[in-house]
Amino acid sequence: MKRHGIAFKLTTLTLSCAFIILAAIVGYNYYCSRDVILRQSEENSRLLAHQTTSSIDAVLSSVEKVAQNIAFSLEDATLTKEEILDLNRRVISNNPEIYGMAIAFEPYFLDKEKLYFAPYHYRSAGRISFSMLGSPSYRYFYMDWYQIPKELERAVWTEPYNDEGGGGVTMATYTVPFFRTVNGKRVFAGVVTADISLEWLEDMISHISIFDTGYAFLLSRHGTFITHPDRNLIMNETIFTLAEESKSEQLRKIGQDMLGGDNSFVLLEDVAGKGERYLYHARLKYGGWALGIIFPKAEMFADVTRLSRIMTLIGLAGFALLVGVIILIARRITTPLTKLSGAAHEIASGNLDLKLPEITSNDEVGDLAQSFTYMKNSLKEFIRDLTSTTAAKERIESELRIARDIQMGILPKLFPAFPERDEFEVFASIEPAKEVGGDLYDFFFVDEDHFCFLVGDVSGKGVPAAFFMAVTKTLLKVVSERGLDPGEVLTKVNADLATDNESCMFVTLFLAIIDIHTGETRYANAGHNPPIHIPETGKPEWIPPLGDPVAGIMEDMEYTTKSLTLTPGDILFIYTDGVTEAMDPAQKLYSEERLMEHVETMNKPSAPELVKDLDTSIKKFTLGAEQSDDITMLAFQFNGEQDK
Amino acid sequence: MEFTNTKNGDKLVVAVTGRLDAVTAPEFDTQCKSWLNDGENRIIADLSNLEYISSAGLRSILSAAKQLKTAKGEIIFCGLNGMVEEVFTVSGFASMFAMYPTLDDALAG
Repeated sequence: MKRHGIAFKLTTLTLSCAFIILAAIVGYNYYCSRDVILRQSEENSRLLAHQTTSSIDAVLSSVEKVAQNIAFSLEDATLTKEEILDLNRRVISNNPEIYGMAIAFEPYFLDKEKLYFAPYHYRSAGRISFSMLGSPSYRYFYMDWYQIPKELERAVWTEPYNDEGGGGVTMATYTVPFFRTVNGKRVFAGVVTADISLEWLEDMISHISIFDTGYAFLLSRHGTFITHPDRNLIMNETIFTLAEESKSEQLRKIGQDMLGGDNSFVLLEDVAGKGERYLYHARLKYGGWALGIIFPKAEMFADVTRLSRIMTLIGLAGFALLVGVIILIARRITTPLTKLSGAAHEIASGNLDLKLPEITSNDEVGDLAQSFTYMKNSLKEFIRDLTSTTAAKERIESELRIARDIQMGILPKLFPAFPERDEFEVFASIEPAKEVGGDLYDFFFVDEDHFCFLVGDVSGKGVPAAFFMAVTKTLLKVVSERGLDPGEVLTKVNADLATDNESCMFVTLFLAIIDIHTGETRYANAGHNPPIHIPETGKPEWIPPLGDPVAGIMEDMEYTTKSLTLTPGDILFIYTDGVTEAMDPAQKLYSEERLMEHVETMNKPSAPELVKDLDTSIKKFTLGAEQSDDITMLAFQFNGEQDK
Repeated sequence: MEFTNTKNGDKLVVAVTGRLDAVTAPEFDTQCKSWLNDGENRIIADLSNLEYISSAGLRSILSAAKQLKTAKGEIIFCGLNGMVEEVFTVSGFASMFAMYPTLDDALAG
């Protein structure tokens, strides 16, 4: 895995989070604002449409009412032609929204002589003009505005049209049929028309401007454009012809909805590269017309887009600032850490005198630096101590080694010890434990005929035991040479050792003195392991302890002397508890039983053979487990007088 | 090596289990010092569960006995068996200290 530093991780993590938060805020804001704007736009357009349709409806409604009132009054058969003309003129002068009004009667209805009677008052150049409609070339009762209400027997609005006669203005006409009762029957008498100019509508609607390019338009009941910013469309195109041209199914559907009477807010497809636009459409109460208001989407959301863009910019600037700050913080943490890490590496490689980098920051890093300094100093101190301790220990060990060598040096090691003597053979071995121990053995002639041999074991270990052993050995030799009994020797040595023996050290001893001519052996035992008497023929036997205590504890002890007689070939085997207490790795003891068994299996061994063979047996038993005590063995073989 | 101390009248019964050798002898010495500090000077050492005793162990016992003697107290032994009993016999310790076959005998004695 690639390794990244703390600074990198911190920066990456924090910035990722910050980026996600930023993106979430900007995104959420953008969509919420859009939603609000969309709803507001819909509401505004609804209001705008409502206002517009209301004011158009007000005009149309008043025109309709005027025309209906006139039609109603014309049902009165008593009206004269003059009164009708007067009525007609008065209507025009009193109703500025009405451009012109015709009262057209059925042929020959008022006057049996006259085919036409259709007075028409209209505005022209600010004045009210008058003409009578009807001529062979304009037989008005065949015109749509006359025929349609007559056939439907109800009032209708005509489709808007361009009035050639009236100066090319776009007009729409409301025509109302009226009836009279003739011979008791209600018959159709004619129509009243009220023309309105659509110029004011165009004025009104063209004043509706939404954002930059938004606009409103008005459709007639058949979908013809009555007003539209594109004047070419007015009276020339319908919404359906436009839908056909642009092959827009949606536009056709919208046309149907608009004329079908729905009020709704829809999103227009992008037609002819104008971008997406919203359309609000509402149907008028009068005339069957429909109003549409177009909002360009991009302009509608321009503010939101700009706001979001600014927010993004501010966010990114903040982001950049955050990057800087985090990198700075991370550096402030990692720079000292890197320095410390380098220093630690160098300290680890042993340079404890290295000057640690100066770190003064008052935070965890500062603490770490302090701990580091402390650790370095402690280490230094510890190593100094360790060095001196080790040196001291080495010195002591070396001295102990020398002491050990000296201790071993005072034991007789040269075998055969008395090559010129045939009467006996003596062999001893000592296998020192790792630690300085206190085993000892010795043999020497007390006089011409008497040979003394002994084995001892000083309690404890170390230099005190070694000293005690050396003292014991010296004392034994000195005292033995006075020609005393073994018991007396031990009594004397014990008394000497016990004097001022504050350390409670003691020694177990087995000492024997043999007459090398007769084989008579006198011995004494101060708490020592029972030796073995191995006769040349017959079973080996323990030499039972005499119950005398170890030497060196109590001054006034009397040790007893016992005796036995060795016959030629007999061996007296003395050992220390290092033999019987030699342990295998499972801490099992070699034991006296095993010792005796082994001795029993041997067939007439010589003294060296016995010792060497037992040594092998013990080594085989311990399997290399660490030796905890000295292993000392001494074998004395009596050969008797040899023929010279 | 483990010690179990039980107070019985004015005597402290110390049951020693395990091995008493050069390794554990200092522990025995420490224990002995703490008895003396606590004012215990009549100790019954129950060695019935002591498996092994070396010469270092004997020395510790001897040292303890000496200190107790100075404090006008004594240490007596009971329950010795096997190798431990043999060592006590061979080394003459058996003749130097009061020995009882069982703890009850020691308490009665």
